[in-house]
Amino acid sequence: MLALPEPKADILARRDEIVAGLRAILPASGVITEPLRLKPYETDGLPAYRQIPLAVALPETTEQVAAVLKLCHSIGVRVIPRGAGTSLSGGATPLADAVVLGLMRMNRILEIDYADRCATVQAGVTNIGITQAVAGNGFFYAPDPSSQLACMIGGNVGMNSGGAHCLKYGVTANNLLGLTAVTIEGDILHLGGNHLDAAGYDWLGLITGSEGMLVVVTEVMVRILRGPEGARAMLAAFRSNEIAGQCVDAIIGSGIIPVALEFMDRPAIHACEAFAHAGYPLDAEAMLIIEVEGSVAEQDDLLDRIKRLCEPFEPLSMRVSQSPEESLAIWKGRKGAFGAVGRISPDYMCMDGTIPTSRLPEVLRRIGEMSDQYGLKVANIFHAGDGNLHPLVMFDANDPDSFHRAEAFGADILKLCVEVGGCLTGEHGVGLEKRDLMRFQFSEPELERQRRLKDAFDPAWLLNPAKVFPLQDKPRQAA
Amino acid sequence: MQTSFTAEQLRDPDIQSSNKILRTCVHCGMCTATCPTFVLLGDELDSPRGRIYLMQDMLESGRPATAEVVTHIDRCLSCLSCMTTCPSGVNYMHLIDHGRRYVEETYTRPWHERLLRNTLVRVLPSPSRMRWALTAARLAKPFRALLPGGVFGSRLRAMLDLAPTHLPPRQVVNGVHRADGTRRGRVALLAGCAQQVLAPSINAATIRLLTRLGYDVVVPPSAGCCGALTHHMGQHDPAMAAARTNIAAWSAEMAGEGLDAILINTSGCGTTVKDYGFMFRDEPEQAQAAQISALAADISQFLSRIGYAPTRDPAGLTVAYHAACSLQHGQSVTAEPKTLLRKAGFTVVEPAEGHLCCGSAGTYNLLQPEIAGRLRERKLDNIRRTTPDLIAAGNIGCLTQLAGAGLPTIHTVELLDWMAGGPRPAALPA
Amino acid sequence: MSAPATEAALAEAIADAYAAKEPVLVQGAGTKHGMLRPVQAARSLSTRNLSGITLYAPKELVISARAGTPITEIKAALAEHGQHLTAEPPDLSDLLGVPGNQTLGGIVATNLSGPRRIVAGAMRDQILGIRAVDGTGEIFHSGGRVLKNVTGLDLCKLLSGSHGTLGIMTEITLKILPAPEQTGTLVIPGLDATAAVATLSAALGSPYGVSGAAWLPPDAAARIPELAGFNASVALMRIEEFAASVTYRTARLAQDLQPHGRAELLGDTISRSVWRSVRDVTPLTVEPGEAVWRVSVRPSAGPGILAATGLRGFLDWGGGLVWLVGDPASHPAVTAAATAAKGIWTLMHAPDSLRASADVIPPEPPVLAAIGRRVKAVMDPAGILNPGRMAAGA
Ligand SMILES: Cc1cc2nc3c(=O)[nH]c(=O)nc-3n(C[C@H](O)[C@H](O)[C@H](O)COP(=O)(O)OP(=O)(O)OC[C@H]3O[C@@H](n4cnc5c(N)ncnc54)[C@H](O)[C@@H]3O)c2cc1C
Ligand code: SF4
Ligand code: SF4
Repeated sequence: MLALPEPKADILARRDEIVAGLRAILPASGVITEPLRLKPYETDGLPAYRQIPLAVALPETTEQVAAVLKLCHSIGVRVIPRGAGTSLSGGATPLADAVVLGLMRMNRILEIDYADRCATVQAGVTNIGITQAVAGNGFFYAPDPSSQLACMIGGNVGMNSGGAHCLKYGVTANNLLGLTAVTIEGDILHLGGNHLDAAGYDWLGLITGSEGMLVVVTEVMVRILRGPEGARAMLAAFRSNEIAGQCVDAIIGSGIIPVALEFMDRPAIHACEAFAHAGYPLDAEAMLIIEVEGSVAEQDDLLDRIKRLCEPFEPLSMRVSQSPEESLAIWKGRKGAFGAVGRISPDYMCMDGTIPTSRLPEVLRRIGEMSDQYGLKVANIFHAGDGNLHPLVMFDANDPDSFHRAEAFGADILKLCVEVGGCLTGEHGVGLEKRDLMRFQFSEPELERQRRLKDAFDPAWLLNPAKVFPLQDKPRQAA
Repeated sequence: MQTSFTAEQLRDPDIQSSNKILRTCVHCGMCTATCPTFVLLGDELDSPRGRIYLMQDMLESGRPATAEVVTHIDRCLSCLSCMTTCPSGVNYMHLIDHGRRYVEETYTRPWHERLLRNTLVRVLPSPSRMRWALTAARLAKPFRALLPGGVFGSRLRAMLDLAPTHLPPRQVVNGVHRADGTRRGRVALLAGCAQQVLAPSINAATIRLLTRLGYDVVVPPSAGCCGALTHHMGQHDPAMAAARTNIAAWSAEMAGEGLDAILINTSGCGTTVKDYGFMFRDEPEQAQAAQISALAADISQFLSRIGYAPTRDPAGLTVAYHAACSLQHGQSVTAEPKTLLRKAGFTVVEPAEGHLCCGSAGTYNLLQPEIAGRLRERKLDNIRRTTPDLIAAGNIGCLTQLAGAGLPTIHTVELLDWMAGGPRPAALPA
Repeated sequence: MSAPATEAALAEAIADAYAAKEPVLVQGAGTKHGMLRPVQAARSLSTRNLSGITLYAPKELVISARAGTPITEIKAALAEHGQHLTAEPPDLSDLLGVPGNQTLGGIVATNLSGPRRIVAGAMRDQILGIRAVDGTGEIFHSGGRVLKNVTGLDLCKLLSGSHGTLGIMTEITLKILPAPEQTGTLVIPGLDATAAVATLSAALGSPYGVSGAAWLPPDAAARIPELAGFNASVALMRIEEFAASVTYRTARLAQDLQPHGRAELLGDTISRSVWRSVRDVTPLTVEPGEAVWRVSVRPSAGPGILAATGLRGFLDWGGGLVWLVGDPASHPAVTAAATAAKGIWTLMHAPDSLRASADVIPPEPPVLAAIGRRVKAVMDPAGILNPGRMAAGA
């Protein structure tokens, strides 16, 4: 179990003053303080870690965010920015002496500019909300995390979220143009704008994926893209993980980059099929979802090429979606995959390492061995094109031993990812969960350098301080 | 998700059921953004995940419900949008039903709340009391401005606003309506309670259409309110009593001449009838209730099954199809009504945010007028953007909620009946 | 000038300069020497001997090379496997009059991208990992060799475009992609800048995946031999795809663009050559004593920048990238126009007098500048790396 820093007694003692300060800034419904009503804010998409915060603040404007931060800064209160709370790494887990700053009331689309292909939205707009706002004109916002229905663009910036289609379209960082953000001192920054690239330092790049540790994002300007003429998915089922992995290599090696190339192993296939009824091949050990874009003729051509590339691997079946509804069902299964595992196990932990794709068969084999060793089931979902692996470790939270085994199993998987040349997290962020594993990927001086970059934004370590870096004896986090 | 019920608590079958539901929830948060109250209020406490958490805490503690928790439970529309979204298959409906019941059993509401709720519980399920109440409300409308402020006053105002300015004449549909021509089968129709009073034309159209298609339609005189209204207010006993009466009435029909289906044309009721099997899981009527739930079908499901064809030329009208929550989320009936309307020759448009509730939600618009009003406006804005000629829906609650905004609101079955030879719906301008 | 052959030697050289508190001019091949402000430094250091590809896994779409590796070497290696550098980095040696073989480190440190930037991202978007030496001689890494990585703060992005002021990259890992089978270009001649940007915008708003969108006024077009025959301005739109798709998409796009003008199709070889010219900014010539600016604005503001400054120039990135050449005295006009359009500018080349005295990039607001100084202090506490390169006294 990961430790959280000791709450500061002096802050807890000034609770009433802090609450009064918040009430002076926000409407009554925007300040939550009763223990019972704070409870639902004690955790996020990783409910294994919980902590009831001191208070929750729900601002509606950038100015209110600035005022709240100024207040917290003046008193020395820690602040945990929160979007939809779908983080799978515990990025939004509160601290006992912290104010949770929820951006969900800032859910307005501010401007859509089709001529210059950009949109400006508040941080609490959901990822899919942007696409829905521009879909009528044939446009979309490209990064599509599976949680897109719920997760918010501010959280996406916080985690630099990716999605199934980022092999072609890139992750959040590649689709951002500008931000309005507030520093812990309450200063409002406007970074970037509706032009491409920065002339000076790439602040946008540094802030994206900084997990709420550097600034609080209130507005986001993103690129919107015109969608392709059409898209179609196919399913290919294989006899073993190895064979499916080789097939992925063959496709990429051929010079075709499908817009999405997703891999599921047997347990994942079964769980998702139970949710989506998409006709996934239940007899297969591994399945690929391969999506291509273009006109119908172009889709046919690409799918034909891909089928020919698959054939030498003796697929058990190959099925090309025949209708938009069928494609939708295929994706519904994939996008609901994590939750769907909730049908076969009361709890799961979703790992998120990235590996060099060539090491997939080996990594899956070793995960299988660990699964036996720990006595816990695992389902694997893999963004095969870019090597981002999501093993879902199943456990029973009502059984503490099972939870501890799951934690250890997860850590072993991530260490394995680093060992084969990959990394701890491809898109979910380090958060609380992988904080202590950072030592496997970075040397102490490297970690210290990153900590000092946080110093540059937040010298007192008030913004989401207990995440990303191992706590150890660092006075910044412990103080 | 982790739960911490004691072995003692888990002996209670309701706790057992809720524990199972809670354990299925993985706290992923996918459901939050599709919840109407979260979208409006921007507070996780008013989201499904937040409510699940609050209810878990309430049930685990075993202590009486607190005012804070009741606030957030009361704000839930029971629209079940969260169930459509949830990839884990969390049965939020059964959990909130349990939560509401727990609230009713352990929490004492302020006197005016109790008065209001008791009145609704007595009036709504009874067509005769409902007629009387609506007449009284109509007479009271001119005095609207004199009502006090505060929650109480605003609720009374909401009631007056929703009461129609004139009531259609009483129509009795009880009994057996014989099939025209060759008989293809026999079905029971739930005549409903509030709907009978507010829009008898819906039952009339349903019966005309079904008999024309060759079905005997039975409306057992002893069957009445399905129990949904009281059930959603956490009033367990009256709800079970109402359901029990229906189970008896339909079981008798099934044992007699037999039934091919039990049809419901008010989707709010349909969701409940389809849930009888669960509601009576520990009751002597369990087997019958399950059988009834299995036979229950929305009118649109049944028409799709038996085949529907128009006889008139297309009316050239654009219909904004409003998916009632109870139909799309509660019963997962989504395609059938639209397909039928298209078959009948209408141009069907689907407004944006179709998954969001219109705010009607049973008695919700009476109990939470502020939120209900905002949802209504949002829904109407989305509908207006599709520039339709009329709004169609399969639920009387939605039709009443969306009425009075300059667009006719008409039950799907009335449109289908019209195109198959029935009269032009009265709500349509000539 | 020292040119260490190993990362360790480079780190040692910097540690030594740090100990002596002596500024170091850092460069690769020195081709971008004339960009931004001149650096006054007692020592100078080149990465050119840190050369060579260290990892190339075509099926995993990654390549790593030492920072001093010439871009040409990397391109040649990629070409053998039918792959290419996604961001299409330009070679500005002709424009800037500094011949030389630019290095990977140099192109990343300046974050220069070509026409494909609009669909494939900037150079900085392709960086998967770096190894670098900071201003004290300490070696560090960020990112890695996998395509998706959000582990820790992203120093790859921080260092790309930092012009060697925050650290010296020693090794860089890039994401690469298969090179398209074919390239086709639609040309609509004779449009003025505003009409052209509307056309480019329509093309970029089409579903055909336009990967280049530029407008050249008549004089600039005349300098590209393949376009000289038009005797007019040209709006250029590129499609890169499998051969059949290029044929299909250019035809459909030409049809859709009919209201904007009649489009002519340029074939594969000509297209490639034309876009190389656009990428390398060869349509503009720089006379001695003239300055070169690169302005990035929202696409619809591009024509306004050309008009407001009255300089020779052309538009890339659908109108969003404005290249300008002319009298250094126009500097205030350029910066004012870019600022008014809420865009940014970079002084790419100018007489030293202007470079030393003016803001060469937009100054940052005080709060951000203060953060910037603190970040600089973390990475280069003694301020010895390319001092004054991006701003006076920084
Ligand atoms: C079922 C499921 C599927 C998922 N699939 C994917 C996937 O495919 N790809 C992927 O990348 N992720 C995925 N995730 C993870 C998660 O959805 C993303 O990390 C998402 O970006 C989090 O957004 P949020 O709004 O929920 O942010 P939160 O969870 O509330 O916060 C995430 C982090 O960002 C910070 N933060 C939030 N808002 C702000 C702000 N305005 N300013 C500064 N910091 C802020 C928080 O402090 C926290 O560190 C999935 C999660 C779930 C539950
Ligand atoms: S039933 Fe409707 S209102 Fe209630 S929690 Fe679910 S989505 Fe929200
Ligand atoms: S979507 Fe389902 S599993 Fe996820 S939080 Fe909501 S109810 Fe729980």
